[in-house]
This record gives sequence, structure tokens and C-alpha cells, in this order.
Amino acid sequence: MNRWLRRLLITAVVVAIWEGVYRAGLLNPIIFSAPSLIAKAVREDGMTFLSAMRLTMVEIGLAVAIAWILGVAFGVVAGASKSLARVIAPVLSAMIAIPLVILYPLILAWLGLGPESKVVFGVLSGIFPIALNTLIGVRHLDPGYTRMAQAMGANRFQVLFLVLAPLALPAIVAGLRLGTALIIIAIVLSEMLSSTDGLGFWISYHRSLFNTGQVYLGILLAVLVAAISNILLSWIEKRFAPAKAA
Amino acid sequence: MTQLLPRLAPALFLALVALVWETASRSGLADPDVLPPFSHVMGVLWGLVGSASFRADLGLTALEVAVAFVIVVPLGLIAGLYLGEKPQAYRLFSPLLNLLLSVPKSIFLPIFIFAFGIGFGQKVIYAVTLTFFIVMLTGIAAARSVPAGLVNMARAFGASKRQTYLEIYLPAMEPLIIEGARIGFIYTVTGVLIAEMYGSPRGIGRLMFAWGESFRMPELLASVVLVVILTVFVNELLRWLEDSRQTHRSRA
Amino acid sequence: MSAETNMSDMIRVEGLGKRYGDPATGLTALTDIALNVRAGQFVTIVGPSGCGKSTLLQIIAGLVTSTSGEVQIDGRTIVGPSPDIIGVMFQDAWLLPWKTARENVEFPLALRKVPADQRKERAMKLLDLVGLTASADQYPDQLSGGMRQRVAIARSLIQKPKVLLMDEPFAALDEQTRTRMGNELLQIWQESGGTVLFVTHGLTEAIYLADIVYVMGARPGRIIDRIEVELPRPRSIDMIGSEYFGRLRNRIWHLIADPA
Repeated sequence: MNRWLRRLLITAVVVAIWEGVYRAGLLNPIIFSAPSLIAKAVREDGMTFLSAMRLTMVEIGLAVAIAWILGVAFGVVAGASKSLARVIAPVLSAMIAIPLVILYPLILAWLGLGPESKVVFGVLSGIFPIALNTLIGVRHLDPGYTRMAQAMGANRFQVLFLVLAPLALPAIVAGLRLGTALIIIAIVLSEMLSSTDGLGFWISYHRSLFNTGQVYLGILLAVLVAAISNILLSWIEKRFAPAKAA
Repeated sequence: MTQLLPRLAPALFLALVALVWETASRSGLADPDVLPPFSHVMGVLWGLVGSASFRADLGLTALEVAVAFVIVVPLGLIAGLYLGEKPQAYRLFSPLLNLLLSVPKSIFLPIFIFAFGIGFGQKVIYAVTLTFFIVMLTGIAAARSVPAGLVNMARAFGASKRQTYLEIYLPAMEPLIIEGARIGFIYTVTGVLIAEMYGSPRGIGRLMFAWGESFRMPELLASVVLVVILTVFVNELLRWLEDSRQTHRSRA
Repeated sequence: MSAETNMSDMIRVEGLGKRYGDPATGLTALTDIALNVRAGQFVTIVGPSGCGKSTLLQIIAGLVTSTSGEVQIDGRTIVGPSPDIIGVMFQDAWLLPWKTARENVEFPLALRKVPADQRKERAMKLLDLVGLTASADQYPDQLSGGMRQRVAIARSLIQKPKVLLMDEPFAALDEQTRTRMGNELLQIWQESGGTVLFVTHGLTEAIYLADIVYVMGARPGRIIDRIEVELPRPRSIDMIGSEYFGRLRNRIWHLIADPA
């Protein structure tokens, strides 16, 4: 009780000071905006932003689902064989090193301005870290586990998905956390660069109109999306890879 | 040969991609208007590299990257080293840092533009802001990777605080410091390109975005190929450097 | 052969205590520790896990501060690391992985900015003493556990310390190597003279190596007994099977297992 009350109080004080500084004209209002401007933005464009947020979250959800499934599957299969992993791991690392934003204009040209291009860009941004982390997680398992499973009569497929994959869970979950963060970043970015809807789009749109209230509103909502996903991921981490949650 | 294979794998992969690309395009599997053949794109690239204005844009972007890199990598590493050394500070900052890293920093671009305009400085500041925290994270990992027992041993033999930093921490962290530089490079390039695409009169990012909008696929693809080659090359170089400094460092 | 007839204490510990936290709720790691080691003696401290023997050694070495009492070595009160008179060895050799064996042995001298040729000469002499001349230019990851500890021994001797403090240096080694290292250590000690304080949790090792064994108890860490080992030197392995050895071992075992 006390902790939340204290946080609320601190937030209220910060908001009050912020508004006061704005009213006193001490800071450039274009750069720093103000709580009253943000409140105004909520009244004027709240609904638009809410539906934009929903679209953004749908795009993120789709990209996450695809990247998780494809990335983990690929990583498990690639990590299963030592020689395969030796060749694929450096390739994945190199892919992660490329600033994937350079592919975005291509994706735009090929898929248009709609949500498809955002989802594809999101998947590309997240899939490589997920695959690489999964591969490493599977590779670093003690061969003793494989021997034990084989001794009990498991075939290759069963060893892979019933023994190794679960054991590699901490590494996989770490990859999922990283990949998801990158996906969210990619999707919001792509919306900002070129889009027809979504949080990023509306932030950009209002920037060109110098509506800082709306810009800050969009930013706050984006941070909210990131925070929510962070909480979800932490929950997943605790649930599926408790040793790692530190 | 098998020793070299992991090293060469990225290059071989890219060559494979080029091959598939060329075949798909020439055979009509992919629409050649949408995906012109690799060979044609390489020709266009050659022309671009010859053009002075393209080189000027490339040079500008490279300069922005260089300046941002030189600022953020030492800053981030030192901040990380300092925090990593103190377990209490680390526990305090760690959750905040994780949250910070998961927030899409591109959403702050409008504020950056309001505050700093769309010139050279803004690109550098944005790239530095984007890269700082992740480099700091590497610095923290580097400091924490130094075993306390090693530092204790040095103290037992009379090392001063300064000597522990120079003789123990720095050499022990060398591979991770190079790793920090490598990650710093990736993120500074990303940051500069994003800022250029979002709002900039000049630079490779701006060019690529404009080409994309006007559907000039050969030029766009050519510049993509160029950036990919350059970044993968630098990345592999730094990775090779890091690995070469890794010899005789495993704590057996 | 060091023939010190000086009867004064080389190491003197009086009323030593170490407490973490405040007097009411804190943890007392060590209480009222008193021990003395005469010059040229080989003294061991044996005790169960968690009795604070490592902490005690770290305090004597000047790496950890005590909360009460004091430590004197060769008449000097120890307040911090004192590499000119103390050489230390830990359970892990803690060799710098990026330096060769020889460079590791030179390390304490390099910290003192001793010229390179002098360092090299002294280091090679010590590597010779521990039988590692051939491995001088190898890196720690190329050496076995026993070899790494031998490098650590050489390193601890390079500043010609008056006193050698050793914290379970052979605990991580297999039994054969451990026994061999013990014998080699005794040989080096006889050849170079000096005073040794050796901490271990192995009863056999404690008795075999020592002139005097201090037995420690746990919770709180304290000295339970001081036992003189009346076995002739040089020691040999078959002494371990003797009745005298067995009785000593039994006595110490009971001291530790049945705390007073």
C-alpha cells in the first residue's frame, strides 16, 4: 500500500512541476511539451491513438508468434548437429550484425505501406537472435543427456524435442526476450518511417504538425506497450526458466 | 579447411544468396522489375561508387558513424566498467537498464528533431543515445567477468588500486571490450541510418529511403548490398580480433 | 637448511576476532584466536568447513581486516597487504591467463618495477626449484593443476618473504598429485628456509606436513587445541601408517567432531 501511494505521490509531484515549468515558459514547449497538452491530446485524439495502439499490438503479436515458432524450430534443428551448428552460428551472428533497417525500404517497396510490411520487418528483426540463442542453448547441453535418452530408446526426433529443447529452455527464453524487444523496436520504427496507421505513424504525423501533446501521448503509449510486454516476458521467464530469472 | 569454415561461412552464405538471387531474377521466378538480377545491380553499384554525389553521401554517413562511435564506445564502456565493479550499484540499475533497452528509442526521434534539427549533430546525438546503454551493458559484463580471486591475488602481492586496473582488469576484459566496440559499431550504424531515413537532407539512409519511395529498385538494392558488405566486413574483422585475443584466456 | 635458533615468534596472533554486522545480530566468524609460529617452523591449521580458517589466513595476510585483536609478523603489525614479508597461496593458483608461467612468477616483481633481466633471472631460478624450467614459456591453460600450483609456489617465493601463508593450496588436486605436492613443498621449505602457515581441512595432510597443528572449531571459529607433531624430518609416506600417526589423527578427528 505504502509503496504504491508513494509512487503515485511522486508522479503527481513530477507532473505538477512539469506543468508549472511549462506555464512559466522556462523550457521550450515544442521540445518538452506539458501535461496539459498531453491531456488535451487525449481528449482530441485519444480514440485514434487507442485504435492505433491496438493495431501496433496486433502487428507485434503476429510478428512475435511467427518469429518465436520459426526461430526456435530452426535453432533447435541447427543446434542438433555439431557440424551444422559450426557453420550456421556464424551466419546468424553476421545477420544480427547487419543494420536491418536498410532492408525496410525494400520491404516497403515490395509489400506496401500496410501492416504486412511491418510484420515482415518485425519478424526479420527478431528471428535471428532467437534462432542463435536457441542454437547455442541446445549446443551447450551435456552430451550425457542425449546418451541417456538414446539408451532409453528415444529416436532422433524425440531426443531433440523432448529432451534437449526443454533443457535448453533458459537459453531459449533469453533469446525470446531479446528477440521480442527487437521486434517491438522494429515495428514501432517501421511505423514511424512509413505507414498508414499504428502508434508510430501517428507520432510521426503529429510531429510534422508540431503537436507535441500528441507526440508525447504516442510516446507514453509506446512505452506502455514495451512495459506490458516486458512484464509478460518476465512472467514467461519465471514460469519456464526459473533459474534464469535473477 | 574445416577450421576456416566457420570464419568463411558468412561470406559463403552471402555468395549463396547472390546466386539464388541471380537465378530467381533471370529465370523469371521473381519479377525482374521488382527484383532486378544481382549482376545488373552490381553494375549499378559500380556506377554509384563512381558518382561523386553518392560518395559524398556515403562519406557523410560514415563520418556520422565514426564520430558517434568514438564518443559512445569509450563512454559506455567506462560507465559500464564503473557500475560493474560495484555490486550494489549494479543491483540498483539493472532492472532500470533492462526496461530502457526494451523501449523503442525511435519514438524519441521527433523530440530529437525538435531539439536538435536534422543535421549532422542530431544524427550523432541520436546514435549515441541509442548505443550508449547497450555498450554500457557490455562494460558491466566485462567488469563482472573478472574473477574477484584474481584481483585479491594481485592485492596480496602488493598491487595498488591503479595497478589492479591496469594489470588485472584491463587485460582480463580485453576480449569483452572488443566485443563492446563491435556491438557499439552495429548500433551506431543502425542509429545513424534510422535518423537519416527519418529526416535528413543527405546521407545514405536518406538516399535509400527516397529510392524506395520512388521505386528505383536497382539503386536501392545496390546500396543495400554495399551496406551489407561493409557492415558484415567490419563485424567479422572485429570478431576475428576478439577471437585472436581470446587465446590462452580460458580459465582452465 | 635453515638453522634458525632464534626463539622469538615470527607470526604472532593475539585476541583476534572477526564479526560481520552489529554486535547484537551480526555473525561472529572468528573469536579470540591466539597462535604463534616460530621462525623456520611449518605450522598447519586444520578445521571443518566453515570454521573460518580461510578468513583467518586472509586476515593474517592483511587482505581482510579483523574487528578485534592484532597480527604481528616479524614484529610488524599487519594492517594491509605486506608483500615484502608475506607470500600467499590460495586454493586456486590465480595465475594470469594471458601471461606465461615465467611472467606469472615475475608478477610481484613487475609490480615493484624491478628491471626485466633481474626479474627473469630470479623467476627462472624459482621455476628450476619447482621443477618447471621446461614449462617457463607455456601458458596456464597448457599446464596441469599441479603445475599451476607449482608456478604459484614459485611466485609466492620470488620476493623472498619471511613467511609463506597457504590457504588449502592442494585441495583442488587429485590425491596422488596432492601427496606429491606436499612432499615437494616440504623439500622446497627445507631448501629455502622460511616460515610456513598452512591451512587445510585434511587431517592427514595437516599432520604429515607440520611441526605444530592448530585445530579449529566452527561456529564460532576458534582454536580448540594446539598439537605438537613429534615425527622426524624428512617425513616419508610410510609414517602415515604408523600407530603414532593414527593416534594423532584420531585425536584431532574427535576434537573436531565432538565440539567441547
